[in-house]
Formats: sequence, structure tokens, C-alpha cells
Amino acid sequence: MKREVAAEIVDSLKEAGVDFAATLTEANLHDLVMAVAEDPAIHHVPVTREEEGIGICAGAYLGGRKPAIVMMNSGFLLSTNALATVCIHPGIPVLMLIGHSGGVGEENAAHATVGSLTEPVLQAMHIMYEKVGRFEDIRPTIRDSQILARSSRRPTAIVLNKQALR
Amino acid sequence: MKRYDCLRAIAPHFGEELVVTNLGAVRHEWQALRPHAGNYHLQNLGLTSSLALGLALALPHRKVVAFDGDGSLLLNLGSLTTMANQHPKNLIHIVFDNECYESSRGAPTATAGLADLAVIARGAGFANVLTVKTLPEFEEGFLGALKSNDLYFILAKVEPGAGDVPPAALDSQENKYLFVRYIEKSEKVKILTSTLSRASEPHAK
Repeated sequence: MKREVAAEIVDSLKEAGVDFAATLTEANLHDLVMAVAEDPAIHHVPVTREEEGIGICAGAYLGGRKPAIVMMNSGFLLSTNALATVCIHPGIPVLMLIGHSGGVGEENAAHATVGSLTEPVLQAMHIMYEKVGRFEDIRPTIRDSQILARSSRRPTAIVLNKQALR
Repeated sequence: MKRYDCLRAIAPHFGEELVVTNLGAVRHEWQALRPHAGNYHLQNLGLTSSLALGLALALPHRKVVAFDGDGSLLLNLGSLTTMANQHPKNLIHIVFDNECYESSRGAPTATAGLADLAVIARGAGFANVLTVKTLPEFEEGFLGALKSNDLYFILAKVEPGAGDVPPAALDSQENKYLFVRYIEKSEKVKILTSTLSRASEPHAK
């Protein structure tokens, strides 16, 4: 990810009210994770496994913070039970920023299966999501996804494709 | 030592502390002993420690107590490293270790074998780690942690067996709303959004 894209995402998160973020890094997400870590307005919790981050974000929400989680789609797929039991069942929102490896523009053949499963699993879980690649779409999409997460008391997702991740 | 006796010993010491309970009988036991809007009963095996960590980080001036189990923590050992590195001074992580998956009819967990969760917690970076095997030890250890201003890990080695209590009459959605409304009131914050009524708006021409 380019630094200006990472900076735009962090600034948009703050404008949307996000003040707490769990992250699990990956090569494509490195600049975003570092930008979150360096921003004093966001409490940053680097996690060891993405579903741990879902639990931490849910606890932060119950305590009055406005959480987001940054992870790859592999981590989203790993977190499905946590999302169902900890967030969707009781009604707890979390804004998810999901890097779409194996999506359009993917050069690594190994990621194709995870890439093709990401949207069907989001749909199966009835999680509302938007796909984002263009710079100018970042800010309004983060704002509106956060509005929906808070009003619906459900997780929402922004799937960042290779145009945003490169 | 039984888990229910441990909980009964410490329940009178609770005021406005926030509690996160693990999946299983512990939620029913705790809700019977200390019915309070500040109890959050998580319906997930594994993330008790993580939810308690998020809560403790969000409300650093409130004491948060997690009642975890060995089977649950073994699903989420990485959370010990995250807790230790974040180091919330207001969090007490209690693990009732009965060495089995009691709610799933009692097959042994890894702690019935060679694993020691207290050693793992120390290795993860916890400075205050206690292993307790008797009720007086548990009560003393807990009260010390409650009075301190630091992160604690308490491993309570217990026999299997649940207290004779009625099931907690509280479902997940109800528990969430009661907990959130209690936090909103006690912390004077707004968590749940409200939908404005258009009835009060002037009609557009």
C-alpha cells in the first residue's frame, strides 16, 4: 500500500469517529498498520490472530470506544465464528477493513481460492460490504460503513482490492 | 476446591467492577451470586480474555475481572501475549482450571497433561502470576489483585463440578443492552445510536 493511501484511510477512520483499532499485518497492509500504530488518536492493539481482534474490538465497543479491525481476507475467514457469536448474535458493531488477496489484480496463484471465497462468505454471514480501490472512494466509504455499523449494531466490511493495496 | 466456592467467597467484595464470564456453567453461577448489569456473559469459547482486554483498555479507570477457563484459554493462548504487551493495570484474568472440557462431558484438556497455564502466562510477559489450590489462597490472591493497580493472572486449580444454581434468565441480546445501558449511565457516555423521528421535522414544501 502506498503511504498516501494509508494516510487517507487513517484520516478517514478518525473522521468517522474510530478511536480504537486491532490489526494483524501483512505485506500489503504494512504501511496502513504502521500509520495506525503511529497515530496517537487511535488506540492500537496488534493481535496474534484475527479472531482475537474481534473479541478485543467487541470489548472496546462495550466500553464506549469506536473500534475497527484491519486484516487480510484470510483473517476474516478465520474469524467467522467469532463474528457470529461475539458480534452478530448479541448485536455488536465492528468496522472491518479487509485486504483482498486473491482478488482482481492478484499475481500469486496460491491466493485464488481464499480470494474467491471472501465475498460469498461475507454474503452468507449477511455482512454488508463495499469494495474499494480508487483513492477518492476511501473516505466516503469508510464514513458510510461506520454509520451503518453503528446504526445496525452489526459488523460491516470494506474490502480493499489491489488498486488500494499495491 | 470448587469453582462455585471460589466465586461465592469473592462475590461479597464486588461493587461496580465489570465482569466477563466464559461460556459454560460459570455464567449461571456468577449471575446467581452477583446479579448485576456489569456482568457480561460471553457466548463464545476462547475470546473471554480478549473481550475483557478490550473492555479494560476502553475503561482504564474501571476494574475488569475475567472468569476464564482452561479449555477457553487454550483456544486463544496468543491473547496472553497481547494482554501482557498492552498491560492494562485494571484487568484481573482468572482462569478456573478444571483440566477438562466440563460442559462437553469432561474430556481432558492439555492441562490434564503437561501444560501449565501459569508458566505460559509468565512466558507471555505477565509479571503478576499466581497459582492457587485452596480457597483461602484464592481469596487472598484475588483480594490482593483487586486492591492493586496492576495486571494479574490467577490460575485457580479446581475440581470439576458446577454449583447448584438456576440457569441465568438472560439472553445475549438482553445482556448486551443491559450492559451497554449500564455503561452509558455510569460513564455518562453514549454508545447506542438513536434514530431521529421525522415527525418533529417541519414538512418540506
